[in-house]
Amino acid sequence: MSASPSYGPRPWTFYVLALLFTLFVVFLYGPMIAVLILSFQGPSASLVFPLRDPSLMWFDELFNPRRVGDVAGAFNRSLPLALIVMVVTVLISVTAGFAFRRRFRGSSAIFYMAIASLIVPGLVLSIGILVTFRYLGLSASWYTSAFGAHLSWSLPFGLLIMFAVLGRLNPSYEEAAYDLGASKWQTVKDVVVPIVFPGMIAVALFGFTLSYDEFPRSWLTVGTKNTLPLEIWTMTTNVTSPALYALGTVTTVISFIVIAIALGSIVLIQRKRSRGK
Amino acid sequence: MTTTATRTAATAASAQGSGEIRLVNVTKQFGNSYAVRDINLTIPHGSYCCLLGPSGCGKTTILRMIAGHETPTSGEVWIGDQMVVGKPPVERGTAMMFQSYALFPHLTILDNVAFYLKMRGVGKEERRSRAEDMLRRVQLHHLRDRMPAQLSGGQQQRVALARSLITNPKVLLLDEPLSALDEFLRLRMRGELKSLQNELGITFVHVTHTQPEAIALADMVVVMDTGRIDQADTANMIFDKPKTPYVARFMGGQNVLTGTATKGQGGRLQLRMADGSVIEGSSGALADGTNVSVAVRRDRIDLARGDAVPAGSVNAVAGKVSATEYQGSYVKVTIDIGDGDEFVANVSDSAYFLDPVDVGHAVVATWKPEAVHVLSKVDTGKAGDPYQNNGH
Repeated sequence: MSASPSYGPRPWTFYVLALLFTLFVVFLYGPMIAVLILSFQGPSASLVFPLRDPSLMWFDELFNPRRVGDVAGAFNRSLPLALIVMVVTVLISVTAGFAFRRRFRGSSAIFYMAIASLIVPGLVLSIGILVTFRYLGLSASWYTSAFGAHLSWSLPFGLLIMFAVLGRLNPSYEEAAYDLGASKWQTVKDVVVPIVFPGMIAVALFGFTLSYDEFPRSWLTVGTKNTLPLEIWTMTTNVTSPALYALGTVTTVISFIVIAIALGSIVLIQRKRSRGK
Repeated sequence: MTTTATRTAATAASAQGSGEIRLVNVTKQFGNSYAVRDINLTIPHGSYCCLLGPSGCGKTTILRMIAGHETPTSGEVWIGDQMVVGKPPVERGTAMMFQSYALFPHLTILDNVAFYLKMRGVGKEERRSRAEDMLRRVQLHHLRDRMPAQLSGGQQQRVALARSLITNPKVLLLDEPLSALDEFLRLRMRGELKSLQNELGITFVHVTHTQPEAIALADMVVVMDTGRIDQADTANMIFDKPKTPYVARFMGGQNVLTGTATKGQGGRLQLRMADGSVIEGSSGALADGTNVSVAVRRDRIDLARGDAVPAGSVNAVAGKVSATEYQGSYVKVTIDIGDGDEFVANVSDSAYFLDPVDVGHAVVATWKPEAVHVLSKVDTGKAGDPYQNNGH
């Protein structure tokens, strides 16, 4: 009888999905927030709530290690490794993406071989690489065996992203460039790469985070010196102080900064395209 | 120094040779199927040519072979006095406007138009000023710093035109340039294309599947069926004197009738149709017993009420009205003449409304011997010809 028209009540599925989403958010951010808060624990060194006498002492402990492991050293290995993996993933995925645009003989066989490493368990791969290196008389280290192991994980993702990006690229852009006298190289440099650049940033982001976070493929391949995820894992077994939480906070913040830079640059590019100068 | 040199070289290149296009025995195969087969066509310099046909007839393939985006399987493509197969578009003196316009989304309008000059190494100042001149010509100078996504369809099309014309081409190739526009803009851009072509005096080759567009624009219409050319002629000849039953039907505006020649009088054509009725032309008698098809224009038909063709009369068919469609200046009356065959009369509105016939009414359609136009091929029947009932 009300004057305003009624569009009916929300269906029950709305409430189910809303509940699911709430749980999802709680499980995703709850632990992160708990770790963040507890990293400011005071000298009581309690690993559980409540937070007493908030301080920055565990961050200090992290960067001036007395009892903790080699966090700074691990970070100094993980960051360059992630950056190199990022650059190499972008280079290989983009060039391979272009190659796959023209169907060549055996292209699908190569594609499935590349994608197969997504389903090979990381730990098994890690063991395999270690065994192979031993057999060849090489010693495992983060910049050789671990680098290869990380690429085996980041490349399939990079390839799949580039396939999606290049699949949407209208071939008439390249034809128009050719029509206007551009050479092959000019077409790539001045037309194709600028158009697919946001996709390349996405590939870079994946390359970086997949390597920076990687545990199973690093496990046996880093040699004697740990990368950050391995160091954290080691600490959970023998360090029993909130320095562990401080480390978690620092690494999470770094990941967020990387993601923010990547997404920010994509947004900037797209805004420029839709608004003009 | 170098920029001036490039500029003069470019002008000289476009000045030499004409924009006449000649296709000699051109065939293009994709796998086992032929997109076009053994095409011969000459498009005169400075003409507006429309390649017209249904989708899949090979018209776009021909355009792309002229442009250099497709290589013929065999045969030769000439532009002016150059055999251009294997040459890039810039050396051919062609420029192509793509159906989707293909404006580079990451470049401003000005940089899109200046793209060709940038590729040739023309300095920034010079290429900007030349691109601005070109944008002024298409009245889009005020939008030079916008991005393509911010422009309307009509504006995007003009940018695409400007970007093509800055190459100073002898031949402009347009791939369904008006298909992405709404009806109002389409008519306006149609007029602009025509006057631009008049102004520039270069050869335009325009691919379309729309008959009125081709007739309105073209000096020369090339009607294509699957992979071959049925007729290449002036718009007037294509519409008024189609060569084949296919062209007559595809262009609309014609009724196609088939019969067997009998002995006419005084050198006149005389045909007896399957139902016994007789068609008589004004001349052009054929040998007794020849099967032949003729076309009669829909707007040359007179309608009268009546159940049957009066005995002894010629050039008449009888049937029941199956549909009427008001078109403003005329009314399209479709008559079922038996066996599912349709006959269409376009009656002027003034004549129609004197005595309006409606669906189900019995009518007799008649026409004068002068309206009978003989086709060079016998109508092979409706099967396999999707355009036989094309209502235009």
